Amino acid sequence: MSENSLSAVPLLDVQNVTKSFPGVRALQEVSFALQAGEVLAVIGENGAGKSTMMKILAGVQEPDSGQVFIDAKPVRIDSTRAAMELGVVLIHQELNLADNLDVGSNIFLGREPRRGGLIDRRRIYQESKVFLQRVGLEVAPETIVDTLPIGKQQLVEIAKALSVSARVLIMDEPTSSLSSKETEALFDVVKDLRSRGVSVIYISHRLGEVRELADRVTVLRDGQNAGDLSRDEITHDQMVNLMVGRDVSQFYAREHHEIGDVRLEVQDLITPAWPQHKLNFKISAGEIVGVAGLVGAGRTEMLQVLFGIDKRVGGRILVDGKAVAVSRPADAIEAGMALVPEDRKQHGLVLEMSVLHNMGLAGLSRNSLAGGFLNRQKEKSDSTQMIEKMRVRTPSDGQVVQYLSGGNQQKVVIGKWLSVGPRILLLDEPTRGIDVGAKEEIYRLMEQLAAEGMAVFFVSSEMEEILGMSDRVLVMHEGQISGELLRDQLSEESVMQLATGNPLAAC
Amino acid sequence: MNAKVIGIFALLLALCGFLSIYTPESFLKGNNIENLLRRTSMYGILGIGVAFVIITSGIDLSVGSLVCLVGCLLASFLQVDYRPYDLYQVSAVNADQQSITLRGQADFDVGDPIRYYGGRRARNLVAQVTKVESVQLDDGTTASKLTIDQKPTRDDSDGNIAKLVSVVSYEKGDAGTSENKQLPEVNLGQALLKLAARDQVLFVHPTRGLKQLKIVDAGATDGQTAITVNDTLGDFGTEWFAVPLERRQRFPIPIALAMVLGIALFLGLLHGVLVTRLKLQPFVVTLCGLLFYRGFSRWMVDDQTMGFADEYDNSLRLLGTGKLQVWQAADGSDSFGIPYPFFVLLIVAIVAIIFLNRTVWGRYMLALGRNEEAARYSGINTNRVTMIAYVISAVLAAVGGMLFALDSNSISPSSFGNFYELYAIAAAVLGGCSLRGGEGGIVGVVIGTAVMQTLYNLIVLMKISDKLEFAIIGAVILLGVIADEVVKRFAAQRRAAARARQAAEE
Repeated sequence: MSENSLSAVPLLDVQNVTKSFPGVRALQEVSFALQAGEVLAVIGENGAGKSTMMKILAGVQEPDSGQVFIDAKPVRIDSTRAAMELGVVLIHQELNLADNLDVGSNIFLGREPRRGGLIDRRRIYQESKVFLQRVGLEVAPETIVDTLPIGKQQLVEIAKALSVSARVLIMDEPTSSLSSKETEALFDVVKDLRSRGVSVIYISHRLGEVRELADRVTVLRDGQNAGDLSRDEITHDQMVNLMVGRDVSQFYAREHHEIGDVRLEVQDLITPAWPQHKLNFKISAGEIVGVAGLVGAGRTEMLQVLFGIDKRVGGRILVDGKAVAVSRPADAIEAGMALVPEDRKQHGLVLEMSVLHNMGLAGLSRNSLAGGFLNRQKEKSDSTQMIEKMRVRTPSDGQVVQYLSGGNQQKVVIGKWLSVGPRILLLDEPTRGIDVGAKEEIYRLMEQLAAEGMAVFFVSSEMEEILGMSDRVLVMHEGQISGELLRDQLSEESVMQLATGNPLAAC
Repeated sequence: MNAKVIGIFALLLALCGFLSIYTPESFLKGNNIENLLRRTSMYGILGIGVAFVIITSGIDLSVGSLVCLVGCLLASFLQVDYRPYDLYQVSAVNADQQSITLRGQADFDVGDPIRYYGGRRARNLVAQVTKVESVQLDDGTTASKLTIDQKPTRDDSDGNIAKLVSVVSYEKGDAGTSENKQLPEVNLGQALLKLAARDQVLFVHPTRGLKQLKIVDAGATDGQTAITVNDTLGDFGTEWFAVPLERRQRFPIPIALAMVLGIALFLGLLHGVLVTRLKLQPFVVTLCGLLFYRGFSRWMVDDQTMGFADEYDNSLRLLGTGKLQVWQAADGSDSFGIPYPFFVLLIVAIVAIIFLNRTVWGRYMLALGRNEEAARYSGINTNRVTMIAYVISAVLAAVGGMLFALDSNSISPSSFGNFYELYAIAAAVLGGCSLRGGEGGIVGVVIGTAVMQTLYNLIVLMKISDKLEFAIIGAVILLGVIADEVVKRFAAQRRAAARARQAAEE
């Protein structure tokens, strides 16, 4: 325990928690403590085990081994109800509200006060007002949740947590879909809660927020404790170093190489999600272009239109200077594009099929023999080659992909595409939910592909990745490209400025 | 071969084993096994079709009604009727004048025997022409007016008359035994060049009645035609007259088959378009198909039971009823042959296996059935592949439906094919297809069908009330699915335990 400055018994004490899933060791001997009235930030890269840890505390999952203490008493949290009774409440990344019901009903969902067997609506609305006041939310408890903006819904969740007299509030990426104004309001609420003695475990990727809010930071890496930082040790570099586990500049191994002719050009592209905006940009051979922005800024939508998943409302797509008509993914593939989608399990893989069959899926038609017969030899040899090239760790190519770790699954998705020989690689959150080792391999691969002349275009919500990997960054805000940053203009601040819709101060 | 197929095969063996021991004298009879094979083959074809749709995570409830529609269509496309070669339309009949006015001019002479086919109201009669005149009809055309030696039952403005041919001589033939049987021969007093085998002849007598016989052989010489008919003449003589009847088949067999398959293909395509383009739920689309095709069939044939009479007994119907004789008991009491539908099943199954496992489209079906989005993101035209599945299902329903129709020869549109879609779906599920899609094989479906049919056989042979049929089949499928789930959970638990052990060792 690094914590010995405070002599008081910690409110929450987590000791040596271990948890495994098929193919992944999610948590290994993780320990940390939380004092009353403290804001503890738990940070780490995607797949570091933060979410699993929090689910264990909230009773969604049970640990394989280890012990949780509350007020120095060992407790067993085997259901969300048990967690709630102990005063531990998790506010999920995706809000857990019944948005067809009103605010009051949500706050008392599952604990409705009754009178004569019927729900006592008057009491619900009266008592709801008290909690809404405490989180500074000025809406009537009769309002249907659906009609509230996302920031206010978040506050409803917090009010709901307070209504069960939560002592430990776990907030998982609470600001990922909030505007900067909503974020500020949320911070005020968190600070207010702290002053009232409520402890908060705050999980975030936004290191700036962590710096502003946290009393202490615990860093997880690959499911293990990577280190703790006390209030005065919290700096950007310290946090990044602990998260990544080595010097950042080495991790994102970029080399300079020649950038060739324009490979992909997009003119006045209009997506169905944001029909009021036109997108314009170019990517050259050998260039790695990152796309930054907040969640919901329209980045995935843009890639999906480029790849023909969604219908283009307007604009032109040019590959090597020639206009291509992309109305289906097959057209995009024909034009030399490949898309590694954001949601690997939904869109990237058929989880129940083998590595071999997944690897072959994109190239089946073009490799098929006369009469539509499968070219099984080619499928096999391509797959073997890609397993080797991508260093997919799998017992055999017959292994069903759902039993592979996230990193190896992602390598299968990328391998599937590389085997059809694309010239433009579109990647949507390419390292989401995979371990550091696989991340490094994917970064190295992106670098290598660019060096071979591929145009690489990647969307990422990880600041480090954007800053580390991009030759150039497009920043999106509410469906439009709010700015473009060259490598020497790149900084966390400049990206965030553009991502939140503020024009860049002259620099 | 996966565990599911082995499991269902074991169940089939167990059922057969049980029946072999319990009622060997009825189960192991050649006829019984042959019948079992025939039913399995026909239902199996339906099952294979539905399996493709289920593999793409859809469902096809229209199979049974399609079977009915196909049966009705095939029977009516192949419908045969016989009508006199020389038939003249009648425009007016005057009973008092004993006159018949035709619609146009025709070559009649005094003394010609004729048969009058009454219109909606008048009775048929056989008569002789006593006078021939030419008259002017209201519309200005000239027509022949015949006066006859009989009195028509009433005035009319409809009907036909046919010229009768005289019987010159005849040979009664010998009914005898099958070896020395001699068919009757009749010489008709006219050279009928068009008359041929498979046509028929109607013998009429003004008072002694009429008989319709099949022509086995016909040959025209100068002024006469010798015909051989298929059955005894009975009461007969040269005072009888003959009406040569022309055989008219609506469509030639290949065209009828092609039209039926074409219609099925179109309907399958329609299902596919509604499912993929309009994004309607497969359940709803094919449920509407189930209702529509059934209702349409009943309306189309006016709820009449359809069949092929004995027209195709030795040709097309053999596809459903025929067999390749393998064994016959010395006393002729039992025999066994491989039914022709089994060969159809064999061909369908082999093509289906190759299609599903060795072609791009089969792989696409498995992939998109499991995760349509991932397939789409991989550049697969998922809509087209899904449509192919519905087309396969409808076309195989048509193939199966034709076999059922040819075999039964009795297609009553309100019940023919009832519940067949459920048999097909149940067989596919028993055979290892998951309704979640992306899973299943053709061999499993065929074995699943065999299990269902053996169960049915068991119900019959063990003299269990056939009212229990559905209950028993339902219970067995449920047990099969439960067993499958239990085995799956057990396997998952073992995997988890193995992982925990492995983790502990590290």
